[in-house]
Amino acid sequence: MDDERIIALYWARNEDAIKETRNKYGRYCYAIAYKILGNDLDAEECESDTYFAAWNSIPPAKPTALSVFLGAITRRLSLDRWRRQYAEKRGHGETALSLCELEECIPAGKSIDEAMEEKELSAAISDFLRKLPQAQASVFVRRYWYFDSVSDIAERYGFGVSKVKMMLKRTRDQLLMKLEKEGFFI
Amino acid sequence: MKSEKLQNAIGGIDPDLIAKSEQPLRKKREHRIVSAIAAMLVLAIGIGILFWNPGYFDDTVYAGDMLAVYPTTVPYAEYLTDPEGYDAWRKDQEKKWEYFGEAENMESFIKVTAAELLSGEGENIVYSPLNVYIALAMLAETTDGDTRKQLLNLLDASDIEVLRKRANTLWNANYNDDGLTSSILASSLWMNEKYSFYKETLEILRDNYYASSYQGNMGSKKFEDALHAWLNEQTRGLLSDQIEELALSQDTILAIATTVYFQANWHDPFSKKNTEKGVFHGTAGDTETDFMHQAYVGSYYQGGNFSAVAKSMKGSGNMWFILPEEGVSVNELLENQEALSFLGKSDTFSNQEAGIDLSVPKFEVSSKLDLKEALKNLGVTDCFDPSRSDFSPLITGEDDIYVGKIDHGALVSIDENGVEATAYTFLPMYGTSSNKITVKFTADRPFLFVITGEDGTVMFIGVVNQM
Repeated sequence: MDDERIIALYWARNEDAIKETRNKYGRYCYAIAYKILGNDLDAEECESDTYFAAWNSIPPAKPTALSVFLGAITRRLSLDRWRRQYAEKRGHGETALSLCELEECIPAGKSIDEAMEEKELSAAISDFLRKLPQAQASVFVRRYWYFDSVSDIAERYGFGVSKVKMMLKRTRDQLLMKLEKEGFFI
Repeated sequence: MKSEKLQNAIGGIDPDLIAKSEQPLRKKREHRIVSAIAAMLVLAIGIGILFWNPGYFDDTVYAGDMLAVYPTTVPYAEYLTDPEGYDAWRKDQEKKWEYFGEAENMESFIKVTAAELLSGEGENIVYSPLNVYIALAMLAETTDGDTRKQLLNLLDASDIEVLRKRANTLWNANYNDDGLTSSILASSLWMNEKYSFYKETLEILRDNYYASSYQGNMGSKKFEDALHAWLNEQTRGLLSDQIEELALSQDTILAIATTVYFQANWHDPFSKKNTEKGVFHGTAGDTETDFMHQAYVGSYYQGGNFSAVAKSMKGSGNMWFILPEEGVSVNELLENQEALSFLGKSDTFSNQEAGIDLSVPKFEVSSKLDLKEALKNLGVTDCFDPSRSDFSPLITGEDDIYVGKIDHGALVSIDENGVEATAYTFLPMYGTSSNKITVKFTADRPFLFVITGEDGTVMFIGVVNQM
């Protein structure tokens, strides 16, 4: 079913919206959750929670890209769960690895200004990524939005693993410079 | 960990970036998104006497204080992820509204140029009325007397001040670089450093037409390379084959170059799974090609011997497909005043909403035109004739100046927008089309197209005669 129709079902408060969302995007949401959480049960629960969060958000939301809208919900729910349940076991899996890598985007001895709105930070990162070559931006998104492993990214785009690692390193360095210049750290 | 906030913020980045990461990386040539469109016009003003270049001048290309300052555009932000960014973008876009309203003043120019340029022997032709209009307006600024009068007549302006204001308004109404749509206009002057030009005229061109002036050693490879680099940059390399052939000979006094680069996504993309092979009945015979299909509700116009449907573009205007009735040729349509008027102001015609079942081929058309003969046929003659031309606002003491040639190259290509993974959609209003007519529109024989900007300005017109 087309996304417009699925969204129209949400707006009509027709519960088929959830069924159709599951049919079309269930595997997509599950894959995101699984990459973050690393086990079936948690991933399935986050997938289900995504549908109910979508039901509560549409309306008023009118997503222009339904897949990304749902994926963002799954990502947020899964990360919350990961932080609650796996706090002590960090050091395992792509989620922990990517988190460690992102530490490099924050200068030593500094933190992100807590007063800074998260959406301001999102906008700055979007702005930064838009100005990068497409390949570099997409590699960054695959790694830190989707939590893809470096080898999966290399396979997806036909790059060598070392090239992907180098692109990610360069992008993190550039992002750090941009965020520092724009006063995101204190 | 300190990076958790950063990790959360990455979750809220622009969905477009996420959608793009789903798509395979494309090779450079394929990197155009949906409608990758470019046009350029180079107008070389030469002198009747061929100068011997003693080679005394070095190859420096310089602009001094004659660099135009281009407007800045607030980048587009998704409302869902960045409502404040979205508001800032929207307010910035609304500022452009003060420039809307001039588009329809180009109608008479479009009617005569479309009839003159698009009638042909069956080849594909495309040109940008907006691009040509601005270049000719700049040319008018450098002329006086009858030379200028002929240009004002063609451009349908009572005097140079009216034309200047109109060109500036059209320029600003159609300039947009917000990341959602690229509609980038640019102008430049390439001046022979052996001559002195009136600064006042150059300033008018800089301040009203955003034209940067570059001076250098005309005839040198370096100066020509600089022109090619500028044109390629402005047209994103889409017309590099044509640009390579453009020469700045040593007898050139000045060249005017103007460009338009336009790229936009369909508001409602075609689904790739609906694209299938079909036969296009072109003027050179039948060709099997990919046809895109979509059913939607949109603008429709039924003319005396043609019909037209619009497909809207995100953050911009429309692309109109204009199909002559069976048995009517494109050339016949170009003699029809109603059809020509429609080309001149498609967006503001008395169009109606209809259910449209559209089938249109994926295509890329490009052409290179020398506009000199066409303009002569339209009454612009003196600027090409060294014995009659008047370039007094440009330069003093030189009587034999004339326009040698006017090259206009343009390219338009359309496809589905590769949207399978991105799923950019808009919400159709179900249930509202039941009382509308339904139109089956299959462009499987020669047709015309028009691409309009947000204010209705006709940016590109073309004829597709063969695949």
